[in-house]
Amino acid sequence: MSDNTSHPPILKLRNIKRRFQLGETTIDALNNISLDIHAGEFLAVWGPSGSGKSTLMNIIGLIDAPTEGEVHFDEQDTRVLDDDALTEFRSKKLGFVFQNFNLVPVLSALENVMLPLQIQGVDEHEARERAAAALVDVGLERFKDSLPDKLSGGQRQRVAIARALVVNPKLVIADEPTANLDSENSRMVVELMREMNRARKVTFVFTTHDQRLLDHVDRKILLRDGNIVSDEVMA
Amino acid sequence: MKNLFKLALRGLMRNRRRSMVTMLAIAFGFAAIVLFAGYTHNVYDGLGRQSIHGEMLGHLTLYKKGMRTEGKLDPERYLLTAQEVAAISKLVSAEEHVKLVAPRLGMSGLVSNGRASTIFIAEGIEPEAVMKLREGSLTETERKSGMFDNMWMRLDKDRPEVASLSDGLVEMLHLKEGEQAQVLVNTLSGQANAADITLAKSFNTGNAGSNDKFAFVSLELARTLLDAEGRAQRLTILLDDESRTAAMRDSLQAKLTAAGFEVEILTWQELSDFYNQVHGMFDMIFGFIFNIVLTVVIMSVANSMGMTVIERTREIGTLRAIGLKRSGVIRLFTMESMLLTLLGCVTGLLIALLVRWGINLANISYVPPNSASPVPLLVDMDVGRTVFTFILMGLVGTLAAYMPARRAAKKDIIDALGHV
Repeated sequence: MSDNTSHPPILKLRNIKRRFQLGETTIDALNNISLDIHAGEFLAVWGPSGSGKSTLMNIIGLIDAPTEGEVHFDEQDTRVLDDDALTEFRSKKLGFVFQNFNLVPVLSALENVMLPLQIQGVDEHEARERAAAALVDVGLERFKDSLPDKLSGGQRQRVAIARALVVNPKLVIADEPTANLDSENSRMVVELMREMNRARKVTFVFTTHDQRLLDHVDRKILLRDGNIVSDEVMA
Repeated sequence: MKNLFKLALRGLMRNRRRSMVTMLAIAFGFAAIVLFAGYTHNVYDGLGRQSIHGEMLGHLTLYKKGMRTEGKLDPERYLLTAQEVAAISKLVSAEEHVKLVAPRLGMSGLVSNGRASTIFIAEGIEPEAVMKLREGSLTETERKSGMFDNMWMRLDKDRPEVASLSDGLVEMLHLKEGEQAQVLVNTLSGQANAADITLAKSFNTGNAGSNDKFAFVSLELARTLLDAEGRAQRLTILLDDESRTAAMRDSLQAKLTAAGFEVEILTWQELSDFYNQVHGMFDMIFGFIFNIVLTVVIMSVANSMGMTVIERTREIGTLRAIGLKRSGVIRLFTMESMLLTLLGCVTGLLIALLVRWGINLANISYVPPNSASPVPLLVDMDVGRTVFTFILMGLVGTLAAYMPARRAAKKDIIDALGHV
């Protein structure tokens, strides 16, 4: 494995707490989490259900804000950003891969991959070229005109990975990316993400229960009851 | 923007049945408005032509000041003198766009068949002026329908004793074309004066209230009967373009006042109470229908977009996560709604054109209230109100989606992503 800690951290979490109020009950989903994520890491957050994995991912992905604590992304204190600025920040620096793929059903594979670029304001011709190239990277150039419902689960997740990578993000957040895939497709998706991580130095942070995925990571963080139980850099 | 448009268009295709139902609600509403606007346009146009040409009001009517209020009590004083008629006619005729200046003289009295008599109201006018005023009174479709054939009356310029009585008057006195009748009126000085008239073809005034009283006589006969040589109660002015009516009235009023004539000039709209009453009534009905349709459109679109937002909550979360701002979500759904509304309006326009074609071809007629004869049911294309309705509906349909779109934009991303 490469020593990614020699790079400055792209994400710094400091003393993160996240509480939810459910009626009269207060739930502490995250307790005083501090964490650095470095460029180029291939990092898994794992743990039992209810351990706070998704909450942590939401905060890392800047789609949720901590109750207490600081999140610095690319040396930017995200607390000072308003909703529009945060949205723009996510659009340029983050990619998302969802458990349920979350592709827009009425757009073709190519149009789905073009979407984040067009939201950024990239002109259509350039967006089309970059999206086509991203589909080549994930081995789906033949399916560029297919609608999501004509693709297998593995193919859909590869389109979602292409959509996440097409904006050249600093960090890709993947929430249980193999949870809805069979073992063969899971293997292909994991290998694809690992390949992108190595070849393009894209930082991946994902949650998983899948042991096969954990075998491929540089670093794995075990969460339990909202606390980091272990933060293990793999040899 | 182009991508949002594409996304919005395809969004409409997701739940085709719902989009279709909403679009058809808009389409039928729009078609109803366009058809009713077209019908009223035809009625206004017909009434306008009926007033200007049929009733022979012309575009402008010139009176000596005070004639309309005091003229009945003191006609001698308020009739235009022969000199005034000649001078004003010369001045007005010299104006560009003036086609005709026709002196008119109204009178009333008794008409008799020798055995019985009844009251009549007559209009004295030059026979040549009648022909000019009647030009353009019917559209080609109306002429072909034959429904207005009985509204024509003709005077004879070589025989001043020829008069045309309305159908009801002729029927009441059992008179026929070519027969003679006697008329008795008071001169301006109050003396009784009688003359024989020869009946021309009778005519239908188109109005049940006047169809048993009205008559046309030559101006020469009217002047003889009233002992008002060269004089006129008013001058009827016909223009070559109706749209110049108001401007011409102002211009003539200024010129005649400057020339020392104390006259007042009224437009045909100011004189035609019936036209104004019908216009007011139809405008009110139009407003009523318009508001109902608009309410249906707002509710249909808001309901449809509300359902769409709920169904696409997870997609909204995804779009927000990958960088679409709240304003972008609002734009997406309002654009979808705008497309739906515009599609509905275009479909409605096609329906309206088809129905209009069918109605105009069917040669349908009906008898309007207070009318003495049937009129054809025709539908015009009221371009002004159609364009106005198109724009307003597009705007309202778009705004109707604003609340659901705003609700979608305000959704928490995590909640939206977790929506099932």
